[in-house]
Amino acid sequence: MRIIVFSIILHWLIVLGCSPLFVGIINRVKAVISGRRGPSIFQPYFDLFRLMQKQQIYSRTTTWVFRATPAIVLASMLCVALIVPFGKIAAPIRFSGDIILVAYILALARFFMIISALDTGYSMEGMGASREAFFSCLAELVLFMNFITLAILVKKVSLSQMIGSDVPLLWSTVGAVLIMVVVSFFVVLLTENCRIPIDDPETHLELTMIHEVMILDNSGVDLAYILYASAIKLFIFAAILVPIIIPFKTGILWSDMCVFFAGMTGLALLIGLVESGMARLKLNRVRNFLLIAFALAFFGFIVTLWRI
Amino acid sequence: MQKIISLPWQVPFGTFALKLDPLSLVFLFAIVILVVCSGLYGIGYLRPYKGKKGMGWHLFFYILLAVSLILVVTANNVILFLGAWELMAIANYFLIIFNNDQHEVRRAGFLYLMATHCGTFCLFLMFFLMANNAAGSMNFDVIAATNFSPIMAGIIFVLALLGFGVKAGFCPMHIWLPHAHPAAPSHVSALMSGLAIKTGIYGICRVIWIMKILPDWCGYVLLIIGASSGLLGVLYALGQHELKKLLAYHSIENIGIIALGLGVGLLGRTYNQPFLSAVGFAGALLHVINHALFKGLLFLGAGSVIQKTHTGNMDHLGGLAKVMPYTSALFLVGALSICGLPLFNGFISEFIIFMGLFNGLFNLPQQGIFFCGLGIVSLAVMGALALACFTKVYGTVFLGEVRAENVNIEDIRGRKESTSKWMIVAMMSLAGLCLWIGLAPHTMVNFTLVSGQYLSGKSFAVNEAEKLLIPLATIISVVLFLIVVFLGLIVLRRLVKGNAAPLIRETWSCGFEQFSPRFQYTSASFARSIVEFAKNILLFNRQGNKIMGAFPAAGNMSSAVKDAAEEIMVRPFYIRLIRLSRKIDENRNKYTQMYLMYIFLFLIFLLVWKIR
Repeated sequence: MRIIVFSIILHWLIVLGCSPLFVGIINRVKAVISGRRGPSIFQPYFDLFRLMQKQQIYSRTTTWVFRATPAIVLASMLCVALIVPFGKIAAPIRFSGDIILVAYILALARFFMIISALDTGYSMEGMGASREAFFSCLAELVLFMNFITLAILVKKVSLSQMIGSDVPLLWSTVGAVLIMVVVSFFVVLLTENCRIPIDDPETHLELTMIHEVMILDNSGVDLAYILYASAIKLFIFAAILVPIIIPFKTGILWSDMCVFFAGMTGLALLIGLVESGMARLKLNRVRNFLLIAFALAFFGFIVTLWRI
Repeated sequence: MQKIISLPWQVPFGTFALKLDPLSLVFLFAIVILVVCSGLYGIGYLRPYKGKKGMGWHLFFYILLAVSLILVVTANNVILFLGAWELMAIANYFLIIFNNDQHEVRRAGFLYLMATHCGTFCLFLMFFLMANNAAGSMNFDVIAATNFSPIMAGIIFVLALLGFGVKAGFCPMHIWLPHAHPAAPSHVSALMSGLAIKTGIYGICRVIWIMKILPDWCGYVLLIIGASSGLLGVLYALGQHELKKLLAYHSIENIGIIALGLGVGLLGRTYNQPFLSAVGFAGALLHVINHALFKGLLFLGAGSVIQKTHTGNMDHLGGLAKVMPYTSALFLVGALSICGLPLFNGFISEFIIFMGLFNGLFNLPQQGIFFCGLGIVSLAVMGALALACFTKVYGTVFLGEVRAENVNIEDIRGRKESTSKWMIVAMMSLAGLCLWIGLAPHTMVNFTLVSGQYLSGKSFAVNEAEKLLIPLATIISVVLFLIVVFLGLIVLRRLVKGNAAPLIRETWSCGFEQFSPRFQYTSASFARSIVEFAKNILLFNRQGNKIMGAFPAAGNMSSAVKDAAEEIMVRPFYIRLIRLSRKIDENRNKYTQMYLMYIFLFLIFLLVWKIR
């Protein structure tokens, strides 16, 4: 019991401590590439702190759904974080079938985000909500296709085992499959976390946004909760992707941890580079982009079937 | 394991034999709960009709439906089963046409009657083939003891899929469902969607039980039917503007999920994997119960909305959460359950089916892995689409502001939740059961595992059940932990903000002043991107003028989703059939004497045949 409590606290410390930093690195990379000095990589912490002090404003139209959503979303992300291992640090909660729980808790958060956007009763939020609902359907398709491939490769349905110690060994035998998994999962990461080329987290033109426009009406602590939750979500997805990418394990705890965090930093740099190097896709192109990712994932599945 | 009651009955080939076995118990459980809850709801729902309609008849057919449902799932004899089946169809017909002064309602009722009899035709063929194989015996357990040749088993299975599939609403045969459900009064829709279509599933389960050995393609066929019904059902649901029609299409989706579970179970049985088989069947059967609970709840909630606003058109509604706090909260429970989100019962059964499919990846041969993979992906996409669909429903009906002027919400606003107490109690008990299965699933999971094992015919090792029960226990603790974290965050927010009341202002509309509720996204616009994505399957059409020029004139736009199965498969066939029968009608001669002579000749033929 005590071990579980300790491991939950450790996990939360990592995820709460590092996730804004992850976003900070991405923003810094984007700033540097576009020729600015950019804010400090710790800026997201200051933003969260500032938002905690701000006054709350609610719309007359909204109901309790709108007020409960930020807490539900953050709580969901905190619970999902417990199922994901961070490199060598094992997940406090792991059982056969936990990937399904991960996907469905993320869906729970999404459900409430969407209805809270619709709760404000304005077309902008409605647009964002509609797009979020559509793109997440396609992202779910790719996500589960990848889960299936990994599950067949390691013969387990637990996230800790799917991205755990066996994966580096797989690079030598089914490297081609893993490349397809990594690329398509990277697309899911970009989609689920509303990064360029699917969505632009920076723009202030409401018409072009998905996630940002859904939270137009949130303020103060609520907004801080939601921003923290999205930072955690990005961190979680990165933490799932990084162990699959890294093709070796040293076997020593500390060096493995260093490799993991170096990998996370590398991924943040990569996301920053992608965001700087690409423009946002037209909305009706996004689905093609996601379908290409699905085609990759499906091809990976077929190759796996053929190889085993 | 099973109890048989036999009573004397003066019908040729018939015995009044009732059997209780784990399979029928699952269905009985759902029937008893939903019949009672819908009945309670009906007391409140039908109050406005008092004195205008014959309540006695309605009550009579309601009870007749309940009795025939129970008979269908307990009958141990073909004749008794078919009798109860017909009784159920007819009672259901009379319940559907409660509002018989409306033309569409009568049409929908007739369509239902046609569809169910087409199904029954296949059932007759199927049962006669079975009885023929069992040397004329009409009792299920006698038939089950005989061996069937693979070809015979295949033919019977296909006939069962056709016959019971019409009732269950498998995809191309579902066309009656979206017409009949909205036509019926809401408590009857709940019964139909929750129970009547489940009798189709029961029939397929019974056939699987009778046929101890089925060819291996049967499982794959069920998986394919499940995936296609599920995906098409939820896509069509997304395209609907009418609340109850949307729910009807969702029943098709859920039947698809159940078929996926049955498919895995059947594959497990064919490839000799007792645990896999039991898990698949158990997931399907638990989903039968769960669907009865949450779909019942949703239909009852829709009924309250319709009773209050006199419209089911989602594009006109909005903001009902403020005037109907109880109904909206209970509807949210139903919506979360049907999307299969954690905390409620939908997640439990979908999780079990997922586990079955994932286990299929490890234990089945190559083609089994492929189909299980497709099953997993389609189940996941169904979940995501259902989420899109129910956020649309909840967001447009209960949240935001009311959209159309003709829905007079001010009229309702004064009195808080004037929904009848009976209706609230009925919905609350269903929501409570959803929560109970969601948070304490072990009772029901064990119950359905026993049924699954019964259906698979082989018992699995006791410790294998732990593979399912331990993850479920962990899930429950994670979900409870999530609630604790949620409450903690609420408290934290309170601590940070103190007791200062938040400011209440208008919605931020990007600086725009002339705000109108008609700016809101409607259900059609919310679903548009998904529906357009699938417009080739959905027959989506959108008419109206586009905005042209700097000063566009007033315009109008309409969009609708037509059912491809109805428009492409059934309607042309139907039109040809009508044409053919007209032609026959023109050509026949119109003398009564000729017909008398035909009858006479036929009698002579029978006489000769008998003497020979």
